[in-house]
Amino acid sequence: MIQRWTYVASTAAIGLAAVIMAWPHLGDDTGTTAVWIEGGQLLGVGLSTHLDSLAASMLLLVSGVALLVQIYSTAYLRDDPRYRSYALLIILFLLAMIAVVVADDLFVLLIGWEVMGLCSYFLISHGWEKEPARAGAVKAYLITRFADLGLLIGIFVIGASYGTFRISEVLAQEPRNATPIALLLLLAVVGKSAQFPLHTWLPDAMPGPTPISALIHAATMVAAGVYLVARLYPVFLASATALAAMALIACVTMLMAALFALTGSDLKRILAWSTVSQLAYMFAAMSVAGREAGIDHLLSHGAFKALLFLAAGCIMFAVGSTSLSAMGGLRKSMPWTFATTTIGLAALAGIPPTSGFFSKDDILAAARDSISGPYAGNEWIAATVFVVSLLTAFVTAAYAARVWFKVFFGPLKEAHDAPRAMTVPLVVLAAATIALSFGKQVHWEIGVLTTVIAAVAITFAWWVHLGALAMPAGVRSVLRNELGLDIVYNRWIPSVVDKVSAATLIVDADAIDAYPRATAYASETSSRWLGRSQSKNSQTYATVLSLAVVALAVVVVVWG
Amino acid sequence: MPLVYPLLLSSALFGIGLYGVLARRNAVLMLLGVELMLNAANLNLVAFDSWLADNVHSGQVLTLFTIAVAAAEIGLGLAIVLALFRAAKTINVDDLEPTRSVGDS
Repeated sequence: MIQRWTYVASTAAIGLAAVIMAWPHLGDDTGTTAVWIEGGQLLGVGLSTHLDSLAASMLLLVSGVALLVQIYSTAYLRDDPRYRSYALLIILFLLAMIAVVVADDLFVLLIGWEVMGLCSYFLISHGWEKEPARAGAVKAYLITRFADLGLLIGIFVIGASYGTFRISEVLAQEPRNATPIALLLLLAVVGKSAQFPLHTWLPDAMPGPTPISALIHAATMVAAGVYLVARLYPVFLASATALAAMALIACVTMLMAALFALTGSDLKRILAWSTVSQLAYMFAAMSVAGREAGIDHLLSHGAFKALLFLAAGCIMFAVGSTSLSAMGGLRKSMPWTFATTTIGLAALAGIPPTSGFFSKDDILAAARDSISGPYAGNEWIAATVFVVSLLTAFVTAAYAARVWFKVFFGPLKEAHDAPRAMTVPLVVLAAATIALSFGKQVHWEIGVLTTVIAAVAITFAWWVHLGALAMPAGVRSVLRNELGLDIVYNRWIPSVVDKVSAATLIVDADAIDAYPRATAYASETSSRWLGRSQSKNSQTYATVLSLAVVALAVVVVVWG
Repeated sequence: MPLVYPLLLSSALFGIGLYGVLARRNAVLMLLGVELMLNAANLNLVAFDSWLADNVHSGQVLTLFTIAVAAAEIGLGLAIVLALFRAAKTINVDDLEPTRSVGDS
């Protein structure tokens, strides 16, 4: 028991250091760059940090959620045999995330980015006795690593175009080669943040421990993609193509993932799709020049989605299953979980006065403003983003209400609420979900519109819950199968890879290997012939010697 | 007497001796071949000495010297053959195991 709290203390120490570093920079929009180690001759890679308001708030979010998750895990994984590696990986993840957030040098950022992916892999496969955990971990790693190639190549293109790898120096210059750089970085963030078409890894990462889903796959790591876009925002703003691509990806992802969440039957998977959908909201904000709105939504989503995942962990802890059908009627037996989850789901559905309401409205306002605004150049994109965001807000409120009804309503069920180490983080996160809305601007027209939409959606969900209304069976089964995209990926990509590898094998065996094999054959044959002269028979040697002398004598006599 | 006769004789002797060394498998006969070649050289020495009409007859002196050396050499050679026969019960060189030297396994 004492041992487990040492990890909490270590996390708290790191988090405290990060908070002390971040606190003075809250509200500092220009930012402060500090060079700790000058870049040497090798690529000019140095160690420098950049702290501004964005980085400081990310630091607070990351260290706060990491600490709460660490506390929560002391109870949630009380009997886990591999608790030590688990807790240490959380600390490693925290350090990597801090590196990504404060790095001014792109290579340091890349290292943090990759270490986060590695921690994600290890923590998804924490319960590696189970097949889904292993498969999910491999899938997550393969997809994100593939996408990370975009970041690596993007960094090289940045270095070649700007002559520096320091973000602060890049942003100080006029944008150059913005479209290729922005598209390469977009590939990286699409993979990391599980956006269409690389979205399939996030739901499959859910066999990992629930606190990990809260920390890595909801609040922090997957949001690092949004953070990267915000960090290099001028580069993206300079490329209308990249913004349009981002808007398109965000629109497809947010609606699709929300629909998947609406029909899901597994609580964690629903929350994972919800995360994908909410991340798409942030990208939508970024694509219509709403950087502030996107960041606000990142922070509020980090708080309420971590809350929802941790609450889901409490519910699973009590009923012993992640399936929605095993739940129901828990509102009396788990009062703390019920109250906090209600706040989290209200924030997800965008109901005032939670932070989710304000940050979602900010995004919608940004989209509305840029329909006629100066950015993006294409009103169609902003209009599409606005309409799809409204549609998604409807679906989001519906699935949030559906989860709420399914888990907490219906015939009452006996269950024990979670221990205090698990409920206290919930209460803290619920308080943060409310507190993040303080001082936010209210967009009245949009606020009324979204509230009405949410109310209608919740009413629909209530009717469906009562059985008065049902989704058409065909639509439901298509959505249940998640559009069969996984089948496409699992069937086509392996078969293409198989064919390419078979062709490569043929080229390798018959063309490239021919050269080494020919030299081997030639040396073998020649050495066999030469070996015959080494007969160990001295008379043969003497014969050859005499013949040579005679031959030399003839040569000397005839031509000499 | 023209010089060519003794030279032809010595060439024939040398050729026979060389053939004996290269073709014979019996160690004693190989030694005999060596002696034939040696004596072909001796014949050359005497012939050139006479042809050059050397005052101090250095060719003949050298021949005497070579005969003495050859006597010692054949004594040593036969002793080796004898030792070989005692060790291997044969003096056929093809039947003898090659001697081990550094580098052979």
